[in-house]
Amino acid sequence: MSEMWINMGPQHPMTHGLWNLRVKIDGELIVDADPEMGYLHRGIEKISEDRHYNEVVTLMDRCCYVAGMSWEHLYILASEQALSIAPPERAEYIRTMADEFQRLGSHLMWYAAFVQDLGLMSPFLYGMRDRDLILDLFQSFTGARMTYEYMRVGGVRNDLPPGFTDRARKVMDWLVDRFREYDALCLGSDIFRKRCDGLGVLSQAQCVELGVTGPMLRSAGSSRDLRKDRPYSAYDRLEFDVARADAGDVTARYLVRMEEMRQSVRIVRQILDWLDTHPGPVMAERVPRWLGAPYAPIGREDYLLKRRYPKGVGFSAIEEPHGEAQAYVVNEGGEHPYRVKFRSPVFANLSAAKHYLVGYHVADIPPIMGSVDICVGECDR
Amino acid sequence: MTVTLYSVAQSIAQAILGAIASVLPPAGRGVASAPVVTGLAVLLFAAILLVASMLNTIVLIWFERKLLGRFMDRRGAMHVGFAGILQNFADGLKLARKDTVRPREADTLGFWTGPTAYLVTSLILFGILPVSSGWNSGVLPLSLLLALAIFSFAPLFIFVSAWSSNNKYSLMGGMRSAAQMIAYEVPLLLSVVAVVLVSGSFDLTTIVEQQQNYWYGGPLLLALIVFVAAMLAEMERIPFDLPEAEAELVEGWNTEYGGMLFAFFMLSDYVRALVGSYLVVLLFLGGWTMPTWVPSTLTSFPLAGIVWFMIKTYIVFGVFVWVRAALPRVRTDQLLRVGWNRMIPLALLSVVLAAGVVYAKCLPVFGCVPGLGG
Repeated sequence: MSEMWINMGPQHPMTHGLWNLRVKIDGELIVDADPEMGYLHRGIEKISEDRHYNEVVTLMDRCCYVAGMSWEHLYILASEQALSIAPPERAEYIRTMADEFQRLGSHLMWYAAFVQDLGLMSPFLYGMRDRDLILDLFQSFTGARMTYEYMRVGGVRNDLPPGFTDRARKVMDWLVDRFREYDALCLGSDIFRKRCDGLGVLSQAQCVELGVTGPMLRSAGSSRDLRKDRPYSAYDRLEFDVARADAGDVTARYLVRMEEMRQSVRIVRQILDWLDTHPGPVMAERVPRWLGAPYAPIGREDYLLKRRYPKGVGFSAIEEPHGEAQAYVVNEGGEHPYRVKFRSPVFANLSAAKHYLVGYHVADIPPIMGSVDICVGECDR
Repeated sequence: MTVTLYSVAQSIAQAILGAIASVLPPAGRGVASAPVVTGLAVLLFAAILLVASMLNTIVLIWFERKLLGRFMDRRGAMHVGFAGILQNFADGLKLARKDTVRPREADTLGFWTGPTAYLVTSLILFGILPVSSGWNSGVLPLSLLLALAIFSFAPLFIFVSAWSSNNKYSLMGGMRSAAQMIAYEVPLLLSVVAVVLVSGSFDLTTIVEQQQNYWYGGPLLLALIVFVAAMLAEMERIPFDLPEAEAELVEGWNTEYGGMLFAFFMLSDYVRALVGSYLVVLLFLGGWTMPTWVPSTLTSFPLAGIVWFMIKTYIVFGVFVWVRAALPRVRTDQLLRVGWNRMIPLALLSVVLAAGVVYAKCLPVFGCVPGLGG
C-alpha cells in the first residue's frame, strides 16, 4: 500500500468533537499529521462584546461543555480585575470548590473517553457513572448540570444549599475508592501498559516550545501549575501537591490526571471544612446593580448609560482541567466589555499533534489523542 | 430407541404427506411414497435446525447484552419483552426495514456477495456441529476437519466486502482481518491436533463420547488455553477486535454497510461466537455427555443432553463476555507478534504433551485409560 492521506474527522469516533485529523499513513505507520480545527467556531469572543458582563458567563458555559465552571471562573476573574471589584472570601472558596469539582468532572469524562478509545468498555461506564455524581452536586447548588451560569462579577449567584457539604463529602469518599478500581483496571492490565507505554512522547522542551500546557506538560517532568505558581482565588490558602510524571508518554498523562483527581478531592475536603465554619456573604457589596441584572430594567436605560464604570483592563490565567487558560478583558467604561480574548489550552495542545503522532501506528492514534483530552468547544470558541 | 432430530422431522413429514394423500384421489396417493417423505424430512430437518440455531443465536446476543450490562453496573436491555428478551427481534426488524445504501464507487458483486457468503458459511456450521447425540445432520467421519475448514472461510469474505466497499477504513479493516485470521489459524489448528492425537478421531461425536469420564480440558489444559485465545481472535472479539476497532477505523470492514447487510454481519459474528463456544465445549469440556455420577432420572430426560450442552456453552460464552468487559484492545503488531511468537510455540508444546499422553496411554490425574489414542 502506498502512502495515503486519510481524514479522521470531522465525523469520526476518535475525534470526540468536531475537528478533523488528517494523517498521512504508510501502511499502518503515520508519516505526517495535520489537525484541522474551526468546525465549531461560534465567535464567542465577538458575541461577548455585545453582552453585559454577567451575560457573557452564559457563553462561557457553552465555551467548554465539560469544564464550563472553569471557564466562567476564568472570565469572571479577568472581568473583576477590569472593573476593580473584589469578591468576598466565602465566594472565593466556593469558586475554588466549584473549580475543583469541575476538574474532577472533566477528568472523569476524559477517563471515560480515553478508556473507550482503548476498547475498555466497562471503565467507560464507570467513569460516566461517577461523573454523574459530580453533576448531581453541581445541580444541587447551581440548578444546572452542564451550563451553570453560577459565577457573577463580584461573587457567586447563590450560597450553597443546607446539607451540601455532607453530601459532597460522601461523594468524595466514594470517588477515592473508585480511583483505586480505575487504577486496577488500567495500570493492572498488561495490555493497557503495552498500548500506552512510550507512546506520543513529548519532551519538556518540546512542550514549552509548542505552548503545550496542563497535564501534558506536567507529564513531561515539569511541575508548572498555575494554582501554585500564580495562585488565584483561595488556592494560596489550601494544601495540595502538584501531580507530575517524567516519561511524557500516554501512561504518564494518565498518571498525572489520576493524581490530580486525588489532589482535587484533597482540596475539596479542605474547602468543605472551611465552608462549614465560615458563613458570610457570597456577593460583593459595591457591585453596580446593572451588573447583577441580566437585562437593563425597562425605562432605566438612560440611567444605566450615565452610570459608567471607571476604565480598566483585566487579565487572568487559571489552571483549567485541560491546561493553562488565559483571558483578557478590556473595559472601556460601557456596560459591555469592549474586547474579550481567550487563550485556549486545547488549541495549543492539539496544534502540536504532528509532534506527538508521527512515527507511531494508526492504532496508536486513539490512545494518544485520547491522552491529550480534547474539548473542541473551547478550542474553536 | 433414541429420538433424533431427523426421526422427528421424518414423522412430521409422514404425517403431513399422509394427510395430503388421504384427501387426494387414488391417482395422487403417490405423494406419500418413501422418496418424497425423505425429501420433505430433509427439508424440515434443515428448517428446524436453522430456526432453532438462529433463536439460540439471538438468545446468545441477549445473554451478552445482559451480562455485559451487569459487568458495567447497568441493566442492559430492559423494555421489550420480559427483561428485554425481545429487544433483538425489535433491532432486527428495524434493520430489516432500513435501506441498504451502496456507495457509488463500490463494486456491486463483491458488496453484496461478501456479507451474504459470510452469513451462509457461518450458518452451515450449525449443520456440522452436533449439539447432542442424534441431533446433528449425520455422522461425518471428518466433521471436525470440515467445521474448521468452513470456519476459516471468513477472512476471504470479509476481505472481499472490505475491498469492494471502496473505503479506506474498510480496506484497512479487511487487511487487518486477513492478517489476524491467518496468524491465528495456525495455533488454533495445532491445539486441535492435540485433541485429535488423544482421541484418535476427527469425528466430533466420537471425541465427545470419549470424554464421558474425563474432559480433555484437564490433561490438555495448555491446548485449551491456546484454543480459547485463538478462538477469541478468530471471533474478532475484544481484546482482538482490531479489524473493527471502532476507535480508529470507524467500524472497520463493515463501515459502509447498513440495514440488512449490516444485520448479516452482526448475525454472522454471533453465529461464529456461538460456534466457537460450541467447539470449546465439544473438544475440551465433554460436550453433551454427563458424568456417570449424575442420577439417571436426570440423564434420561429427553433433551437432557442438549440442555447440559447449552449450559456449558453459555458458561464458555460468559467467559468471552467477561474478557470483553475487562480488557482493552491490543494493537495489530502486538497481536501478530503474540500470535506468531507465543501462541504457535505454545500450541506446538501442547501437541508434544498430547503425544506424551498418547504414548504413555495414561492421563495425568485420571490414570491410565485403555483404548486411549484410538
